[in-house]
Amino acid sequence: MMVGIMKTVRLFMMKFSAVPLEFDNILPEQLYDKSQKQIEETVIFRGNRKEPLNKYFKVTVEGECNIPEECTVIMDGDLHRVKYIGNSMSCGRIIVNSDVDLHAGAQMSGGHILINGDAESYVGREMTGGLLEIKGNVREFLGSSYAGEWRGMSGGKIVVYKNAGKQVAECMLNGEIYIKGNCDSLAGIHMTGGYLQIDGDVIQWPGGQMKKGDIVVNGCVGEILQGFKKEEKIQNPLINNRYHIGTYTKYVGDMGNRGKGHLWIKENRV
Amino acid sequence: MEYILKNGIVFDPANNIDGEQMDILIKDGIIVDNVSSDAKVLDVTGKLVMPGGVDLHSHIAGPKLSVGRLYRPEDIRRGIKVASGDGIEGFEAGFSVPTCPATGYRYTRMGYTTVTEAAVPPLEAKHAHEEISSIPNLDIPTLTLFGNNWFMLKYVRENNLDKLAIFISKWLKLAKGYGIKIVNPCGSEAWGWGKNVNGLDDAEEHWNVTGREVITSLTKVNEMLGLPHSVHVHTNDLGHPGNYETTLETFDCVKGIKKNKNVDRNQILHCTHVQFHAYKGTSWRDVSSGAPELIDYINRSKHMTCDIGQITFDETTTMTADAPMEYDLYKLTGLKWANKDIEVETASGLIPSIYSKKAPVSVLQWAVGLEFFLGIKDPWKMALTTDSPNGGPFIRYPKVISWIMSTEKLNDMLDNEVHPWATRRTSLGSYDREYSWNEIAIITRASPAKILGLTDRGHLGHGAKADVSVYDIDVNDFDTTLSGNSETLEKKLLNSLYTIKDGKILVNHGKIVELVDSKHIWCNVRGLEDREDELIREITPEFNKYYTIKYENYGVNNHYIKPDNRIDIDYDGGYYEDC
Repeated sequence: MMVGIMKTVRLFMMKFSAVPLEFDNILPEQLYDKSQKQIEETVIFRGNRKEPLNKYFKVTVEGECNIPEECTVIMDGDLHRVKYIGNSMSCGRIIVNSDVDLHAGAQMSGGHILINGDAESYVGREMTGGLLEIKGNVREFLGSSYAGEWRGMSGGKIVVYKNAGKQVAECMLNGEIYIKGNCDSLAGIHMTGGYLQIDGDVIQWPGGQMKKGDIVVNGCVGEILQGFKKEEKIQNPLINNRYHIGTYTKYVGDMGNRGKGHLWIKENRV
Repeated sequence: MEYILKNGIVFDPANNIDGEQMDILIKDGIIVDNVSSDAKVLDVTGKLVMPGGVDLHSHIAGPKLSVGRLYRPEDIRRGIKVASGDGIEGFEAGFSVPTCPATGYRYTRMGYTTVTEAAVPPLEAKHAHEEISSIPNLDIPTLTLFGNNWFMLKYVRENNLDKLAIFISKWLKLAKGYGIKIVNPCGSEAWGWGKNVNGLDDAEEHWNVTGREVITSLTKVNEMLGLPHSVHVHTNDLGHPGNYETTLETFDCVKGIKKNKNVDRNQILHCTHVQFHAYKGTSWRDVSSGAPELIDYINRSKHMTCDIGQITFDETTTMTADAPMEYDLYKLTGLKWANKDIEVETASGLIPSIYSKKAPVSVLQWAVGLEFFLGIKDPWKMALTTDSPNGGPFIRYPKVISWIMSTEKLNDMLDNEVHPWATRRTSLGSYDREYSWNEIAIITRASPAKILGLTDRGHLGHGAKADVSVYDIDVNDFDTTLSGNSETLEKKLLNSLYTIKDGKILVNHGKIVELVDSKHIWCNVRGLEDREDELIREITPEFNKYYTIKYENYGVNNHYIKPDNRIDIDYDGGYYEDC
């Protein structure tokens, strides 16, 4: 049977739940071959109870597709108490026109998530691939490791268009994180690789305990840790295969952890 | 309930049954020679039948496990399995430090019915027994830590073995312990001052007592009391290059001590996780295997046994009362480290460990463990362990079995998978021994039961506990020596066809069908009660001075250990024979 080349699943939140809903199974790869009725009956967790999706969401399906890459899930309404959106997603597209709760895009390995709102903590936690965009602010632990784990984000790309909280890119191994706004303390703590770019200011201590990787700050830094050694000033340095326009001061550290990471701060802003 | 296990291929080394096709009859929880016509027949024609597994050294309950779970949430995320939905199997989580129910489920699925918790400080014994009560389906003896206890050190310094014997007898009752565990004698006590001891004759400076004195004194006391298990020793210098000499001295220091005549075991000393104590060299740069010397000693001697502590190439959690060693490991790896002092009694430490096939030291440790398996001629002198979770989690036992049953598999690994230190720095490549099912039954059942002195298990003789495991392995058709079969073998050993404990079917075709409460196995020495009371009156002032809890709140009350299996021993003042 011939089917279309694009499927769109629209979820509109009709009934708000103060108890968080969990969306770790509402993924393009799980929905692309399901009928509207099957999607409506998909079981999600509300706290520790199981509920059908259509108890809270109106489901509309447009088009059909053969492969999950061609499936887009669009979520509307007030989803600020919906957790695990796009958790472990491997392909396809999710667009959320709302704020979201914890763990959005955690462990995602492929595909594209676009959040047109703010996000709670642990966004993009342990991500290994794909693209995650947040148009609003994010809270703590963006692109970090899980609590206790020493291996964080290892691939993919995260772009935040506003501000981020504490401990961004904690234990990052690889991948890229771009923050267009400001950052709280300890951005890039325990980094062992990867690239973190902050276009705004950092309150204090970027790169604490970092071993490797690059952190670029285009704004001001409140305080640099003493474990960072000032090396040199470079005009238009090539970092992460891209020239950065302006004069940057290069620091190496964190010596407190025998680190050889690079912290680049744009001239006259410290 | 009565059962007939029909036509299985039975391996029961304690009764010299080596792969005979026969029926096993079960009635009222024991093995019998006759059942009624109502007995339910389980057709296991051609399948592998062995006694229930016995693990004589594992860390499954107690404060260090709780610290491990709290400290490594990333480990808890591994091994997650949802509840079965039928109300029997609950949720499982954790890989190297699983939750308590998961520990019970996994051992039961593997066909194990008895597991020893190998290190419990008396002060934390209540916690350990509470956790044991949360683990289903196992019989669990606990070994009580005495190797750095202040009262023990005092009596050893005074060379007062009579009082030491009374102290041990009383403290086993208080901790509801089964036997004497010694960990880095004097070293863990020295760690209270940030120090360690080096070797057997390095005295801990505040007590002026050596590891040699502790081990020999506690061995003598163990035989005086006639405890079913011998002293269970984690020797000094664990994990240090050059430590094999200390291990040899430890083996030798108790050689002349006579064994109590009333006990069933053959040894007076059990050296645990011997793999970690068998390194030559002066640093990790020039380290090599010291296993051949230790194997030679073990092969020549009758007074000792060992378990291996095999490395399994996993990311795991190390936890031990040898706290200074954990600090050394922290300095070496830089991974997160937890340290805990147990007042008056011992210390403890915890750190994750990543054993990689590409890391030379990990591979050396792996190869040293296998050298012991392949080099010790008499399998009755050893037991299969991974010192779970220190060398790897217990769910890797089937993997270890698949390695030692196939030279082809081992050679494949040596040629293609592991770092060349395995062949350059050890003698592993020179062995061509392959374990038979009979030998596997010895090192996983019969020998650990014998070493522990648990006479009612580890065999399928009439009157034995009806602890039986059946695996979906057609013994006569399945070639364990083929490298290509190793994964299948591992899977089949991980999920038994039937696990029967006390005559109840707990696992049916890999699925847990019944949960029973675990039994707390402990030793009760009779005949010293008056002298124990006298001792307590004497030491209570010191106890209340040095402990932060009162003596009255110290012991494990009976309600912590329901159901229990108390093993009564009548003190006879010592009645000895040669090993």
